Amino acid sequence: MSIELWIALLAGALGTYLIRLLPLLWMQRRLRHSRERAGTESMPAWLGVLGPMMIAAVLGVSLVPKTLDSSGWYATGLGLLATLLVWRRTRSLGLPVIVGVASFAAVILLLR
Amino acid sequence: MSDHDSAPAAPAWLGGVRDSLPLLSGYIPVAVSFGLVATQAGFSSLETLAISGLIYAGASQFVFVGMVAGGAPLWLAVAMTLLINLRHVVYAPNLAPWLPPSRWWPWLMHGLTDQVFALALARLPQLAERQRVGWFCGAALLAWLSWIAGSLLGALAGEWLMTQWPLLGEVMPFALPALFLVLVAPRFTSPRWALALCVCIIAALAFTLGGLANVGIPLAAALGGLCFFTLRAPRLPGGQR
Repeated sequence: MSIELWIALLAGALGTYLIRLLPLLWMQRRLRHSRERAGTESMPAWLGVLGPMMIAAVLGVSLVPKTLDSSGWYATGLGLLATLLVWRRTRSLGLPVIVGVASFAAVILLLR
Repeated sequence: MSDHDSAPAAPAWLGGVRDSLPLLSGYIPVAVSFGLVATQAGFSSLETLAISGLIYAGASQFVFVGMVAGGAPLWLAVAMTLLINLRHVVYAPNLAPWLPPSRWWPWLMHGLTDQVFALALARLPQLAERQRVGWFCGAALLAWLSWIAGSLLGALAGEWLMTQWPLLGEVMPFALPALFLVLVAPRFTSPRWALALCVCIIAALAFTLGGLANVGIPLAAALGGLCFFTLRAPRLPGGQR
């Protein structure tokens, strides 16, 4: 890899890191100021809504199966249903995911 | 040195590692694919490792490698990488109220991916303040190392793996939507939240099917947010908004 390419890689890496870091520093300063002024921390209301929405958006993006055929969609639907049912019973993180993946795999194996 | 600045306690680390285990089945197949694509594009194993370790942002890495291999100007490859990763700008401010003072946070922000953010936003509020740095360290480090290890595996043996177990590469990534579902499900606390979240999920799905996955994340989130705040708008006398 040429020097120019290494510089491009480092620029991409530094830029990505700053995209993740600088908003944290901004928000920490904002929270500190609001705490000093009012005695409590305050986060903008829109930001508190945007967080869960970002997770929901990433969920929506990840729902698209690798192979866009009917078995892929059936497997996705059944996998989500199984995940949700186990989550309602256990309220845990790991087991619903394991059951969801197993259900997804079972449908793929049965239909293909 | 304050308590907050001391090294994170082991149990908190382990809790983060345990909680992030489901991420691995989503990360590793994608990382293996990246390693394979990068070596096929002419990058060495060391260079592939450097890209995964330093940029550490899935989709943008594929674009970076593809553009460089295709002969695009390097500044354009960097610009596209940053543009795709711009959605990360809202992650840290959302977590900030849950982050106790510590010198570790700036360094740990390198590990703030979509998945780690989703996990942290759900778990950090449930943890005691003294556990949060350790938990985040464990979760983010495991995710980062699995991404790097998967990329190396893909660079060295990706082609062989894909031909031996083609089904594995299709099934394992389902762990990610399953995990996100578990993380977002507790937010369905009212009709207002439920409707806004459903709008967001469906919009993101539609954007992805239309080939706009990366820009679709912030756009779908904005649509969901708009829906949420529109539903809250107070009605004026006479039924007008």
